[in-house]
Amino acid sequence: MNQRVVITGLGAVSPIGIGVGQFWKAALEGRSGISAIHPFDDLPLEAYRSRVAGQIHDFTPAHYLDGPHVDRVDRYAQFALVAAKEALSDSGLRIERENPHRIGTIVGAGMGGMVMGEREITQLYRSQRPNRVHPNFIPTITLNSASGIVAMAHGAKGQNLTISTACSSSAHAIGQSLLTIRSGRADAVITVGADASITPLVFAGFCSLRALSTNFNETPEKASRPFDRARDGFVMGEGAGALILESLPHAKKRKARIYAEVAGYAATSEAHHMVIPREDGLEVAETMALALKDAKVRPAQVDYINAHATSTPIGDAVEVKALRHLFKSRADRMLVNATKSMIGHTLGAAGALGGVVCALALETGQIHPTLNYEDPDPACALSGISTQAQERPITIALLNAFGFGSNNAAVVFRKFSR
Amino acid sequence: MPAESDIAARIRTALGEYLKRDPASIEPRHALREDLGLDSMATIELLFKIEEVFDLQIPDQDLQKLAKVSDVIAYVEGRVGRPATPAAKPPAKRPAPKKKG
Repeated sequence: MNQRVVITGLGAVSPIGIGVGQFWKAALEGRSGISAIHPFDDLPLEAYRSRVAGQIHDFTPAHYLDGPHVDRVDRYAQFALVAAKEALSDSGLRIERENPHRIGTIVGAGMGGMVMGEREITQLYRSQRPNRVHPNFIPTITLNSASGIVAMAHGAKGQNLTISTACSSSAHAIGQSLLTIRSGRADAVITVGADASITPLVFAGFCSLRALSTNFNETPEKASRPFDRARDGFVMGEGAGALILESLPHAKKRKARIYAEVAGYAATSEAHHMVIPREDGLEVAETMALALKDAKVRPAQVDYINAHATSTPIGDAVEVKALRHLFKSRADRMLVNATKSMIGHTLGAAGALGGVVCALALETGQIHPTLNYEDPDPACALSGISTQAQERPITIALLNAFGFGSNNAAVVFRKFSR
Repeated sequence: MPAESDIAARIRTALGEYLKRDPASIEPRHALREDLGLDSMATIELLFKIEEVFDLQIPDQDLQKLAKVSDVIAYVEGRVGRPATPAAKPPAKRPAPKKKG
């Protein structure tokens, strides 16, 4: 069994739009979803080094969801539910007409249910009343709460997994969904990435880690600037992306619309450092090479890179070094963009939203701009990065995602042809 | 050798605790990365400790100025005023968490 795997449905919840239509339109227009951070109750905002974020300000779960699931899950799982619902509806896959044990759910989440997590911990220590910890606390903060609730909402009874590899979580989710279907263990997998952890404690933690941008607190839209000389850290975002991955025979049988093929995947560990990438970029290059090999694609065939590019001084430079190492002169002939320049770093959602972008880029030939790439850093400059939208037929796209814990993932997408 | 300031002594103590080695073996000329083996994450952790000891906030853009132990000492001395006397006031204690009800 070695099934081809295709994408038949997409969903997006992002700081630049809820729903794939809004998200993609805003992305092509180069709209920024980064703004001054919304206050955290009465905590002193000035004590946070970074005060910008890609937050979703107009999210009312009841507009998108009904049923008993909505209020009993954390914000990240609500995002996951909305994105999964959109993707399923887009795919036309009706699980009630399928063998439900052949439909899986794989969710990537980096932080999980931190909104309730932080609230309950704070209340426990303030009130000193352990008997008032909410009964729904454990089911909410358990890291698989999103994958559980997504499967429940749709009756998907196949394997139900959560992958948590920090910022590479949902790139891994796409890859593991590919392997699951390719090996014949499922006909389709609802693949989601979600995170909503712009919370007082997590945000403070990233500030303390000195991972976030601090020089653009007065000009939030300028803060996320991958590959630019003035970049000074990433900007936290939140959201969810969803993709319905399906075996080609199954998709064909039900005459589904096919966005693109998921052709290859690789996951590696640098086994190096919890938060610092290897500066030579060789492990990143190896990960991309392995993914291309899995897809039976040569580096010279790659047209487009959806870069991990978080806007940190070291991370962007390492990724470009790896691209130059693997692709040699082709590195300057490929189109490259950084979705995080618009929506910030959505952590566990980043890979899935990047996957949505790759699918749409393959289908439409449109590449969204990279915002704030105003003064290219010589260590990062590539000819294919632009502050303008670009258009060119694309056959092969590659998605990169790297996560704390020394994790690397790369996914190869191919324009679908029968 | 001139007498070491109180700030310098406290920084060396903090470094010694962080590195689990004798503070006396840590010299101002030591480079944080090359001599003491601190990577960027470890430097951030060390500065987190120094911020606590001296009740300081060290902005990200100042980090690159701090390559050697002597840079850290000079930086902290510059931030907290003159090299402090041994009777320097201890860092402010954090308020206890508010209790409700």
